[in-house]
Amino acid sequence: MNTTQQTTSQENDKAGMDRRNFLKVSGTASAGLSLGFFVPERAQAADTPQLNVWIEIEPNDTIVIRYARAEMGQGSMTSAPMIIAEELEADWKKVRVVYATAHENLRSKRAYGDMASVGSRTIRNSQEYLRKAGATAREMLIAAAAQQWNVPASECTASLGKVTHAASKRSLSYGKLASAAAKMDAPKTVQLKDPKNWTIIGKSLPRVDIPDIVVGNRKYGIDTQLPGMLHAAVAACPVFNGKVKTMDASKVENRRGIVKVLNMGEFVAVVADNWWRAKEALREVSVDWDVGEHGTLSSAAIMAHFKAGMEQPELAVARNDGNTVEALSKSAKVVEADYFTPYLAHATMEPMVCTAWLQGDQLEVWSSTQNPEGTLAVSAATAGVPQANVKVHPVQLGGGLGRKSPQDFTRQAVMIAKAMPGKPVKMLWSREEEIQHGLYRPASLMRFKGGLNASGKVEALHIRVSAPSILATLLKLPLPKGVDGQAVACFNDHPYDIPNTLVDYAQRNTNVPVGFWRTVGHSQNPFGRECFIDELALAAGKDPVAFRLDMLPNNEKSKRDRGILEAVTKAAGWGTALPAGVFRGVAETEGYGSWTACVCEVSVNARNEVKIHRVVIGIDSGYVVNPDNIVAQFQGSVVHGLTAIFWGENTIKEGRVEQSNFNDYRMMRLNEMPKVEVVIAPTGGFWGGVGEPAQAPLAPALANAISAAMGKRIRSLPLKNHGLTLKA
Amino acid sequence: MNAEGGLRRKGLKGLLLAGVTASFAGWRVAFAQRMNSGRLISLEDMVQPVVKGAKLLKQDVQIVAPVLADNGSLVPLQINVQSPMTDQDHVTHVYLLSQRNPVTQVAVFHFGPWNGRAEVNTRIRLAGTQDVVALARFSNGEFRFNQMEIIVTESACVDAS
Amino acid sequence: MSIARVQWPEKITTGDVVKVRMLIQHPMDTGYLQDFTGKVVPRNVIRLVTCTLGDKEVFRIEPSSGISANPFFEFFVRATSTAEFKVEWTDDKGVKRQHLQLFKV
Repeated sequence: MNTTQQTTSQENDKAGMDRRNFLKVSGTASAGLSLGFFVPERAQAADTPQLNVWIEIEPNDTIVIRYARAEMGQGSMTSAPMIIAEELEADWKKVRVVYATAHENLRSKRAYGDMASVGSRTIRNSQEYLRKAGATAREMLIAAAAQQWNVPASECTASLGKVTHAASKRSLSYGKLASAAAKMDAPKTVQLKDPKNWTIIGKSLPRVDIPDIVVGNRKYGIDTQLPGMLHAAVAACPVFNGKVKTMDASKVENRRGIVKVLNMGEFVAVVADNWWRAKEALREVSVDWDVGEHGTLSSAAIMAHFKAGMEQPELAVARNDGNTVEALSKSAKVVEADYFTPYLAHATMEPMVCTAWLQGDQLEVWSSTQNPEGTLAVSAATAGVPQANVKVHPVQLGGGLGRKSPQDFTRQAVMIAKAMPGKPVKMLWSREEEIQHGLYRPASLMRFKGGLNASGKVEALHIRVSAPSILATLLKLPLPKGVDGQAVACFNDHPYDIPNTLVDYAQRNTNVPVGFWRTVGHSQNPFGRECFIDELALAAGKDPVAFRLDMLPNNEKSKRDRGILEAVTKAAGWGTALPAGVFRGVAETEGYGSWTACVCEVSVNARNEVKIHRVVIGIDSGYVVNPDNIVAQFQGSVVHGLTAIFWGENTIKEGRVEQSNFNDYRMMRLNEMPKVEVVIAPTGGFWGGVGEPAQAPLAPALANAISAAMGKRIRSLPLKNHGLTLKA
Repeated sequence: MNAEGGLRRKGLKGLLLAGVTASFAGWRVAFAQRMNSGRLISLEDMVQPVVKGAKLLKQDVQIVAPVLADNGSLVPLQINVQSPMTDQDHVTHVYLLSQRNPVTQVAVFHFGPWNGRAEVNTRIRLAGTQDVVALARFSNGEFRFNQMEIIVTESACVDAS
Repeated sequence: MSIARVQWPEKITTGDVVKVRMLIQHPMDTGYLQDFTGKVVPRNVIRLVTCTLGDKEVFRIEPSSGISANPFFEFFVRATSTAEFKVEWTDDKGVKRQHLQLFKV
């Protein structure tokens, strides 16, 4: 379709002419973006003018737009440039997207702002400055044309890569104006386009990386190839936080192709001329691990630990409306239930991989990372070199899902590179290593107690969570009032009109390391909340949708919850007749700045096989940048979500994770995938995230449908533990 | 998650210039150990409890720290204050203030002419990406300050940015 | 057991402005973390550090939980005459420790 090849990072960074004149233009955009004329090292010659750090225009009208975050299949490498192109009035067919790099960002005083692809934040956090960047460049192009024609800029318009002066029927393409435009002063304020005039934002444009992916040209971290590159296989202690006591590599040290065996304290590495040899040799390195007191930990002990948390005297209070305990004691009907969700490894299709090359005091890193600035900082610290000496080359990620924002594996790779100075080393984890050394989605025990009045209205709701804290353990962050926001997500901020709500939290950490799994707290808490709401509806004898709508008044606080619930249930035909044996379940939740809902239609046969007839799932993300990308996100979420819902759990025995590969950490199969009907119901006026909220309402909607089909409540995941399987 | 993205992006707008004399009669003396809730507080809220309306200029103070911090629990940070450090003209205190930590006053350092240099180097904890402020009190009762944004890369997942 | 390591250049002449480096062993527990038994590790941070040369106080620090574990401080002092350097610190538990070293001019 167009010239959308990725420029490789090597091309980006070839030392060209060292002309770097940095002109900071003040007052043009929100703080955090400098529309300076920082020129990164590139192979481009002097004839490619740069209008600002985001946009360069080639004489042949190609518009080079920079993308400053990671691409891991979520599609923002297309959506973010679309936003710039919109305001720029570019011809999308002529746009070419290239990565900005972390080292360029550091050198330019962070002209590109934040670079982490986390929290479904790329679009919503960068849209304002990206739009301003596009608009600013547009105004400079118009000013250049106006100057050349000696006419007022107000009489000129920009559209589809050209500036036109209608009165004199003259027009010039951006390629011809770029040099002059680059010399213009950037305007201090710019007018952004009215959303109703958008011609690029809102279109389902194909992702810019598709052609390369299809022909196998796309460079993922795992594809990194460098001359003389060595390969490293690593193994950390199977019991978390254990250390090497003794290591015996005598069996493999002198084997063909084995270059070095390293005892790094927290892990062992075999460096070889190819990865297979390294991995096979690693199996025969005998290590005596010091596991401390953690070698007896089990899932049963963890559950007991969580249960003890439920009873602990000191709890952190996340929400306290009215007087819940008193209201519950007086309720006409009280419903109580415990819900449980397990630890989950990420199982990104591409395991952890990082290539590092230390030459003297210069370090180059190719890391499949969601957080290139984190990679830069940790690499420099680990290698003991100044941050200015580190280059982080961008690569596409084969899945991130939150596992690749922390830098634990980067640190390992750089430690190995430091031990092999002068040689590039690609460190790759095996699937077993990835499953067993995860930063798991925390297991969580949730206790619900709801009180109904005589007319079946919810008057009190008490939710207590007993679970590890990601923020306190992984990030060592202080918890305001002792509350980890992720552990109580969608509980402490639930939208329902319930006069008495109490949400409290018992922080219950274990030796199992926890981290950010896609959708984080919203990957598990909506299951508890929306299933329990159904239990209350059942106790009140009310239809689950009507029951929810009753508690979601059409006011500022809950109108969007109401809106998406109505849109999705309407698309699903809620309330219409179903064939015998087919049942529906519904769920609604908010998260990451968006509102989502889901309806599932299932039947369960005598062999406990679940047939999913329909998944109707939708989102109100405010504005929509690329509808097809949202559809793709939902489809992907259903794959990821159903995999977790039916089979996902990591159990602990003798301090270690029992699962190891896809034989015992099962993924969905192609023929099991149901049809996904996506409802995009944007109400405009805000920018909500998409990547993670897409998954949030699926588990509860499905569980509610299955509960209706079976006549008994599903209160824990995965479903396989209830004897249920997914029917193809 | 907090929704303070916009606030953090704007950094510490509203810089105090010479001659600001706002008074804060209500501040408790025990400000040093007051906990905030993880929100990003304004420059004014950070410095006024210490400055209390005295003359404050943004000069003579240098903060040396990494722009990108790899580990929020261990951020090296150095503060240099220009001063002859004589009996007549010296730094008496340096306050290290955090925009977002639960305890705003990270540390107070006491100086005198006997130090010869008003310089201190330490390692601090930062609860997420934020600005730090180094505030120096001089023997004539005036204050000088500087500020710096430090990106805590490891907490990218939670920092509203 | 909380101990300190203090360093300065070997050769010091009167009038030199000497860099003093101090590392104090202390966990600086913030009080926000629960251990694996479910108990909060109580807050215990060093609240006051005083450094004296002879009987003259030459540096004073009021740290908080915002100072990293194993507090590290580097500061300067003008050398006058040989004296005993003492650093003393007190934490939330009221534990007081000190370290003595001869500052030879």
